[in-house]
Amino acid sequence: MIGNDVIDLVQSRIESNWRRKGFIDKIFTPDEQMLISNATDPEIMVWLLWSMKEAAYKVYNRQTKIREFNPQKLVCSILSENNTTTGSVRCSENTYYTQTVITPENIHTIAVRHFDDLDKVIEIENKAIAKDENGIPFLTEVSHTVQDVSISHHGRFEKVVTLTSASSILNK
Amino acid sequence: MPVSYLKNFNTNTMNKEELIAKLKLIIKPYTTNIEAYDNLTEETDFINDLSINSANLVDIILDIEETFDVVIDNTDMERMLDVKTAVEIIETKLAQK
Repeated sequence: MIGNDVIDLVQSRIESNWRRKGFIDKIFTPDEQMLISNATDPEIMVWLLWSMKEAAYKVYNRQTKIREFNPQKLVCSILSENNTTTGSVRCSENTYYTQTVITPENIHTIAVRHFDDLDKVIEIENKAIAKDENGIPFLTEVSHTVQDVSISHHGRFEKVVTLTSASSILNK
Repeated sequence: MPVSYLKNFNTNTMNKEELIAKLKLIIKPYTTNIEAYDNLTEETDFINDLSINSANLVDIILDIEETFDVVIDNTDMERMLDVKTAVEIIETKLAQK
């Protein structure tokens, strides 16, 4: 299972005032708020944590079919920061693993259920994608093969990702 | 809406129609789907129908708190995905005042 979230940093500056009174308190746990206040660039930390929550929620929603809006229920931890940021997001009894790429233009996070799956995620073009009765997208191509995909669109960017191990169709 | 009405605007004695009208004004700046906004009903879903991004859903909740002078906790926020539920939650909060 997979989820992803892209944030266009130009778009987020137009759409959201994260410094607005109450905004941070509604979304982030006390520990996450500490990460933001201690960050060199608080804006990037806000959207890094937000994209982790969004990407993890997509996996949670796919797994449980539960639809809810409670950002504080998705509890982020940052495990390592190198070229990419690796993290985990806890939601109820579930833990999801995330990997985020931050560029000056955007922040893109992928989330999976098993840590090892982070290496199996690839970006694909938005083609042959259909949605099931719950509005959850999957990739359908050649014969009767279907495959989980996650789509995220924000501002100038659209990212579609899938797990390579889920099917062999992408190797063809 | 006549000016005199706005002057005497009291969120504690609002009927449902007034409440939805007030909510609709709050939602307006955040929606990107004008057609769905113009045809808004109780069944309208903030994300699926009005294409409101989830970060802006936080703004809507903060605006509701400020406009109606109520506090929306996480348990209420969790369900606040459509007009109907938002109205229910605001009505409950106003009745508790």
